[in-house]
Amino acid sequence: MRLPRRLLGTIAVGALGCSAPEGPAFAPPPPAMAGSAGSAGIGGQAGSAGAGAGGAGTSGATAGDAGAAGAGMGGTSGSAGAMSCETVAPGAAPLRLLTHIQYDNTVADLLGDTTGPSKTFPAENEVAGFRNNVAANQVNPRLVEGYQAAAETVAGAAVGTDLQALAPCADTAGSVDCGRAFIVSFGEKAFRRPLDTDEIAVFEKLFTDTLPLGYQKAVELSLRAILQSPQFIYRVDAERAATPETGAVALGPYQLGARLAFFLTNSTPDADLLAAAAAGELATDAQVEAQARRLLETPRARAMASDFMMQWLGMSRLDGAARQAADVNLGPIELVPDWKASLAAFLEDAVFTAGRIENLFTSPKLFVTPKLATLYGLPVPTSDLAAVDREERFGLLTQPALMALLAHADQSAPVLRGAFVRERVMCVEVEPPPPDVNVTAPAVDPTATTRERFRQHTADPGCAGCHILIDGIGWGFEKFDQFGRYRELENGLAIDTTGDVVDTGDPELDGPLSGVSELAARLASSSRVRDCLATQWYRYAMGRVEDEADACSVADVQKRFADSNGSFRELLVAIALSEAFRYRPALEAP
Amino acid sequence: MKPRRIDRRLFLRAASGAAVALPLLPSLRAKGAPAPAPKRLITMYTPNGQIHDGWWPTSGGETDFTLNEAHTPLAAHRDRLTLLRNVDLKSAGGGPGGPHQRGIGTLFTGQQLQAGDFVDGCGSHAGWANGISIDQVVANLQLDTPYKSLELGVRATENDVQGRIAYAGPGQPLPPMLEPLDLYNRIFRDLVVPDDPGTPPPVDPLIAERQSVLDAVRGQITNLESKVSNEDKMRLESHMTLIRDIERRLAGTIVECEKPDEPMKLDPASEVDMPVIAELEIDLLAVAFACDLSRVASFEISTGLNRIRYPWLSSMGEGHPLSHMSPTDTDARTQLVARAQWHSGLIARLYDRLSGIPEGEGTAADNTLLVWCSEVSEGNVHSHTNMPFLVMGGGWHFETGRYLDAAGASHVDLLVTILNAMGVETDTFGLPEFCTGPLAVLT
Repeated sequence: MRLPRRLLGTIAVGALGCSAPEGPAFAPPPPAMAGSAGSAGIGGQAGSAGAGAGGAGTSGATAGDAGAAGAGMGGTSGSAGAMSCETVAPGAAPLRLLTHIQYDNTVADLLGDTTGPSKTFPAENEVAGFRNNVAANQVNPRLVEGYQAAAETVAGAAVGTDLQALAPCADTAGSVDCGRAFIVSFGEKAFRRPLDTDEIAVFEKLFTDTLPLGYQKAVELSLRAILQSPQFIYRVDAERAATPETGAVALGPYQLGARLAFFLTNSTPDADLLAAAAAGELATDAQVEAQARRLLETPRARAMASDFMMQWLGMSRLDGAARQAADVNLGPIELVPDWKASLAAFLEDAVFTAGRIENLFTSPKLFVTPKLATLYGLPVPTSDLAAVDREERFGLLTQPALMALLAHADQSAPVLRGAFVRERVMCVEVEPPPPDVNVTAPAVDPTATTRERFRQHTADPGCAGCHILIDGIGWGFEKFDQFGRYRELENGLAIDTTGDVVDTGDPELDGPLSGVSELAARLASSSRVRDCLATQWYRYAMGRVEDEADACSVADVQKRFADSNGSFRELLVAIALSEAFRYRPALEAP
Repeated sequence: MKPRRIDRRLFLRAASGAAVALPLLPSLRAKGAPAPAPKRLITMYTPNGQIHDGWWPTSGGETDFTLNEAHTPLAAHRDRLTLLRNVDLKSAGGGPGGPHQRGIGTLFTGQQLQAGDFVDGCGSHAGWANGISIDQVVANLQLDTPYKSLELGVRATENDVQGRIAYAGPGQPLPPMLEPLDLYNRIFRDLVVPDDPGTPPPVDPLIAERQSVLDAVRGQITNLESKVSNEDKMRLESHMTLIRDIERRLAGTIVECEKPDEPMKLDPASEVDMPVIAELEIDLLAVAFACDLSRVASFEISTGLNRIRYPWLSSMGEGHPLSHMSPTDTDARTQLVARAQWHSGLIARLYDRLSGIPEGEGTAADNTLLVWCSEVSEGNVHSHTNMPFLVMGGGWHFETGRYLDAAGASHVDLLVTILNAMGVETDTFGLPEFCTGPLAVLT
């Protein structure tokens, strides 16, 4: 269990740091160690933002927590510069359920089943924005039922499609030998490692017992059992060795192979990776790096990046988001699929084609569907989706999907937009509004701009302390309405997009703004934003919010991302090479 | 598990216009020796508190009170109603988390929150509730029904502590089903109903197949348990328990009732579909109860930080921000009371249906207890005193049709009373420091 944040906020992280509390010191293969002052984690800096916001007041009931939250992210990752990273102290490596996406991709890659069976699984729980948090996602009755139902559907379809390809057998009536061969060969793919004799025996008994029902049925039932076995459903990073372990333990080749595949492709290891594991060719940095780079060039890696980005941006909340305006004659949720498609195309282009954080924040590319083009007054494409360069668009921040997400039903939402930038892009926590204030957007007024209507935030001293931190960023977006549509005027009135970035703890970010273009440029070159994005992707890779044991790995990943001039491929390789990714703690005695 | 026979001669019409055609609800009365009528429990949650001057009775005393606006749809079921004034959520006063998180976490568990990384909109951090909820205590006793409990929700799409009201244990939330079709597919689709009420259906070959497969799955769980950490072993044991629940169901029940129509596919995120989803869930729950597929449910409408509009009520405010408005803001008040009234209407719909199912000397409504509350008392101040508790049914255990003043009692005492009503003999629940025993005023 992680330490409560209020503890982390006050303990000097360096004291907990990266020294293994027990076991022999283990010198890892040397990915370059962080240590320079410039690579301080997300941490530290957030404290000042918290202090700055504290004056706005919080409810009595939550004041204690809010104080701790002020230390926020800082407490969790800490400043690696202040501590020793000589030894490896990896975080826990518990059983880890395949995520829904991983389940679907895995059955697609193993059996060609692209029906996405996970759509009937219960929703995944979300921690810090991510739905792959290991601790928060455990089995529940409906999930186990869902595994059963999915196994039945998938296995039935698989044996009905091409039994001979799945479980070849010269004797069309089938035989126990053919069954065993299927169990051994398919089992290795499904379990991501060779089966042991006990595991083979369990499936062989099932196969033999059910062979009288016919070869196809026996294969189907064995396949159903494989797909419901914990060795398939869970990723198993830690299995007991013959001799007791101590200290940090390097993952075995099959386990590391599975980690690489599930992180970089959200799917099961392919044949190449399983072969490398079997041959002991995932041992050196160079071997791991080569596999990581190979996987990054697959379509699945692009889908993974898109999935990460969508979760980071909170895009699941766009589902069902109703947006309306007097001059738009569309159903309230009609555009959601168009916005999502547009954003997915933009992200793939920025992350994989352009490839750098700078492109993510400054690309003028806009991908439009026919519906979006019509709404935005652009030439309607003949294809489902077409790219246009638009001088009013500045990368991620002005993407239609994001602007529509960060909006109210009938108007833009400068507060949501400002808070989003601080929290998700800068990794600075935003203090709560006092509990008894009106937090409803002021009613739409055809004679005023949104900014004029929101003026109370900065006029009321009780609100101003906080809102100066948020709204000063949010105003920059005011030329984009609740549809992500660009506007020069609002209600015939000029739109003031000037603002101010205040108290982020990063002098590169702070300062007056003319609008979203300047904000985008500042974010694109900010070390704080770069570190924030590295940390977010690290959380997604590890399936947890980082804690003190991760500080050295996080700092190292941030440094490599910085050294590569913000290359996303290098960031992903750096995570795959980090110690936290490649080691686990020793198992305790049984 | 014994097969259950249901007399299908007693057909009843669904009480009011359903969103889709419902089957004729069957009777639950057993053939032969009458069994005691099953008791059923529903925990219900709606977010962001209530407008109190639209909620509490406006005049009258303990039994002759006048229903306020929020409760007018329940007029026909007034004698089943218990309104409890001055029950406090004392256990929400401590532990990690913000007021929405602490409130929903303790509401049906009587526990506080674990430490964790869930951030509420107000910046506080917390984990899951640190204990089992009352519905699951009762669910664990339901060995005769195919499903120990059903978790249902409507647009409850916050997948963290703010979106969970049912807990199988500390840190073990149960996610709600948000789509009527998923619910239908889970409990009705594969239901084998005999053509002739007197004869059991032929043995389904699927059952034997599933049992063989699950034997192998249990074998692999055992194999893996020997290799993993002690903590992982506990995870696998939980998994094994869930497999056994499925096996128990396979071994199980012959249910004789009419399957409801398969509901249409709906979008669980859509404000357009929302009212249809809610009504269908209520209707399917009534049939599930009538068929005795389950006796325990939780029902959760939206979540604390929702931005949901209710366009069919002409309520276009976004839920959580709307609840922050002062109760003196007449437009916000009108919208929030209209929503409460609509929520009451869903309860009325359920009890209308249950009232049509003869059971023992009365109807299924007589044997169904529902408790409804929110995670805060008033949305604009996030208070945890004088919580808007409404109880329906439970007349077999306490006198209903009353408006009572609990004089600042802890809500955990109410949870104890509900457990007692459901046959759980205990005088404590949740955190002992917030519990004095059954709620004194509710007898």
